[in-house]
Amino acid sequence: MADDGGLKPKPAETDPLSDDIKPIKNATALVSEAKRGKRVDKPKKAHLLQWMEITVTEPEKKTIASMKMQDTFVVYLIETRVTDENMQGYGEGATSVWRRYTEFELLRNYLDVTFPSVIVPPLPEKKASYAWQNVSMDRFDPDFIERRRAGLEIFLLRCAAHPRLCQDKIFMGFLHQEQGWRDTVNATDFYSKAESRLKALNAQFRLKNHDRRFEELKNYCTELQSNIGNILKIRARLCDKLYGIHKVHGNYARVFNEWSAIEKEIAEHLQSASHYMDVYSATIDAELEEEEQYADQLKEYYAFGDSVRAVCRRYECAQYDLEKAEEGLVNKSCQREALKLAIAESPVSEENNGQGKGGFSLSGVKTKLFGGDTPEQREIRLKQLDEQIVQAEAELKNVQVESQEFIEFALRDIDRFQRQKTKDLQEIFTNYAVMQIKQCKKGIAIWTSAKDCFSKM
Amino acid sequence: ASEDTPVITAAGENNSSQIKCPQNEKIKFKDPLMTGLDKDSDDDGMESLDLEASNKSEEESVSRSSSLIANFRLDDDCDGETRDLFIVVDDPEKHTSTLEAYITFRVTTKTTRDEFEGSDFSVRRRYNDFLWIRHRLEEKYPTHLVPPLPEKHSLKRMDRFSTEFLKVRQTALQKFLTRVADHPVLSFDKCFQIFLTAKAWEFQAHKKQGSGFLTRVSESLNNMSASYMMKNRPPEFALMHDYITLLSDKLGVMDRIAQRVAKEQNDYMAELLEWGPCYTLWANAEDQLAGALLTMSKALDECVRTIKELIDATDNRFAQPVKEYLLYTECIKNVLRRRDAIQNEYDSVIEEISRKKDEKEMIKTSDQTYSIGAFLGKDPEDVKQQKHEKLEQQIADMIRQMEYFNDRTVVANADLKADMERWHKHKQRDLKEIFITLADMHIAYYEKNLAIWENTIRTIQNKEHIQLPSTASINENQDHGIV
Repeated sequence: MADDGGLKPKPAETDPLSDDIKPIKNATALVSEAKRGKRVDKPKKAHLLQWMEITVTEPEKKTIASMKMQDTFVVYLIETRVTDENMQGYGEGATSVWRRYTEFELLRNYLDVTFPSVIVPPLPEKKASYAWQNVSMDRFDPDFIERRRAGLEIFLLRCAAHPRLCQDKIFMGFLHQEQGWRDTVNATDFYSKAESRLKALNAQFRLKNHDRRFEELKNYCTELQSNIGNILKIRARLCDKLYGIHKVHGNYARVFNEWSAIEKEIAEHLQSASHYMDVYSATIDAELEEEEQYADQLKEYYAFGDSVRAVCRRYECAQYDLEKAEEGLVNKSCQREALKLAIAESPVSEENNGQGKGGFSLSGVKTKLFGGDTPEQREIRLKQLDEQIVQAEAELKNVQVESQEFIEFALRDIDRFQRQKTKDLQEIFTNYAVMQIKQCKKGIAIWTSAKDCFSKM
Repeated sequence: ASEDTPVITAAGENNSSQIKCPQNEKIKFKDPLMTGLDKDSDDDGMESLDLEASNKSEEESVSRSSSLIANFRLDDDCDGETRDLFIVVDDPEKHTSTLEAYITFRVTTKTTRDEFEGSDFSVRRRYNDFLWIRHRLEEKYPTHLVPPLPEKHSLKRMDRFSTEFLKVRQTALQKFLTRVADHPVLSFDKCFQIFLTAKAWEFQAHKKQGSGFLTRVSESLNNMSASYMMKNRPPEFALMHDYITLLSDKLGVMDRIAQRVAKEQNDYMAELLEWGPCYTLWANAEDQLAGALLTMSKALDECVRTIKELIDATDNRFAQPVKEYLLYTECIKNVLRRRDAIQNEYDSVIEEISRKKDEKEMIKTSDQTYSIGAFLGKDPEDVKQQKHEKLEQQIADMIRQMEYFNDRTVVANADLKADMERWHKHKQRDLKEIFITLADMHIAYYEKNLAIWENTIRTIQNKEHIQLPSTASINENQDHGIV
């Protein structure tokens, strides 16, 4: 198992997963639900959010002159506060640090490598995607920054809610360490533990025994992303059309005004009505901005697809390692058997038939090149092989244990993810419906007022 | 059957009031092919003579006429007038002959007026018949405001037999007839009465008589120039003219906005139509989440329905009426032009008279020695005398003409003024109602959507108290373990 860098996770006697599945809506909801979890009397806290509050706020533009260029970027304020008096030993009461997006990326990369069997939560997107006409592509646009801020907060909350991720020292350092956190991270040299792309590719195509569950999971991710992609694409088009409808109604405002100029008795009512048409036209901006939330939430799950697929890839690598170790052991065993056989067949004469079974054997070649082995040399060789085999067996056991653990943890995390996903998405759809209801109520109010004006005409 | 005679005479003081015009002739509408018919029971079986019309029996129509009258809204009754002429247009039917296919509507009339021999009538008319009656009324009452008809061809609706189109047209035709029936002068017109009561053959025969085609053409040319040359238009008509021009402008803008909104809404609906299936497709790949996804999909499909209803209702009950008022303003512009032409004739004669009078004065002191008469051997003094007499004669003639034109102008102005006052009141009421309807339709749309999304939340959160049958199957798929 990879180094967790901190407290080792307790094996699952007390299942740490049972009460941490809550739909992630926002910080306050999560914290309050975490607090509710305290009703179950557990001696151990399963995850950070049960006793700590984390917020990401106050995005600020910062410019520093570094080297030759000016670098402008946004920093976010990360604040934590211990909410459970019993946990005073951990954490430092209230803390605050400033972080920028690239530091979040560094944290995520570290967690990704360090916890290969964990589905690490994704970060909010680097650039606006599936944008409709009013969405700015400028990364300093205040709306974009606000959405990013919300996404970063959710990222931290999800990590904190994960029983294994939250115990990591680097993660805690991210929350608390004001100076030199980057150096601390780089000092762990985590990059070297990352699986190489080549190995992953090899693994994908050369596995002999593939656990169907991971294969199916990969397919599921592809479908999930395809489905979410479709929804986001059409949603963007819907926004454009809805925007158009409202803005064209703004023209009614203008014509009502012009009309009121040629009327006497009804002039003031026409002007009031005109005002409401303007309001109707203007409300769409705020409504659609709020709806971006829905898109962001779906995008998070789109990105989760990548995280899940990463776990599957790591499974394949682990399986690859396992199979290689098995193969290695089998090879060595074969070699030993061959050598034994060779010794048994020709104990004295090395020049005649120094070969074992089969035309081309290594010992045969060696005999040709270096002269035959003396029986003593063969014995030495045999002993060597025996030792190697013992080693290989031990290694194989290790790899098997590691692989088992990996699969066990991965499957458990996957199950956790699926359950979280169901709850989250139900909540996400509910939120969307809530937004629609708000829009409908607003529409009713505006048109009722307009109707009032018309009735007085 | 006796011909109709023009009801309006030159001395038309009676016409601007709202009293019934005295009528001397009794109009008999005896269908030549139906002998021995009691004039009180002109309701049975006459329809069968119209070989191309349907075979609906008249008894059926009459017994329904009272319920049809009930369709009338009481607030149609404007100005507190007591109505004695009710008209309903309904029941469109398609007829196919060898040459063409067309639609007829049933026109049902209920009245207490004496001039109509009887109190209930039911006939079938097609759009061209309406065109004819409108044409005749315009001809006979050029300075009165004859309500407009819906356009012959709607550019949008290619299918002139679709139910929607027919419903809209039917409503417009009824409005037309009702407006004519409410007009204190037009409603007493003989042709109008014939339109409402005559059976097929008689009506066809009547239509063929009287054209007035040529007069219309020349009249319109006159009108155009008259409006441009109008110098001393009375202020009230100048105001009317300006107002109508501006209002027509605004109505045109509103019509275009309505079209634009409809286009955007249609585009929106097209996207929505594609969105629901995305959720269904996703539901295919899920277990626990399938229920919520299918609920979303269903909600979106219902939203497609509501926006379609809004689009259609807006077109029928807002855009079409606005267009119709636009047509109305065009009619008014025409009538204003005709009034201008009439006044123009009067003004021209006045000018002529003045010129001739000047000429007459000039003659007195003129020297006729070099005139043509002198060359022909006449005595210059005689020529002078002759010319003077001729001019006097001309002036006398023109003065008579002037009096005639003056009367005509006064009548035209009075007619138009009265009609415009009535029109203003109606317009106020009609436009107010059109816009209230627009607001109502939007409110209804949002209320429907509100219900859809509230329902969606209840279903997804599985907290509904009432199990709605349509979502029961969805609830079965819902996850039970996790709350």
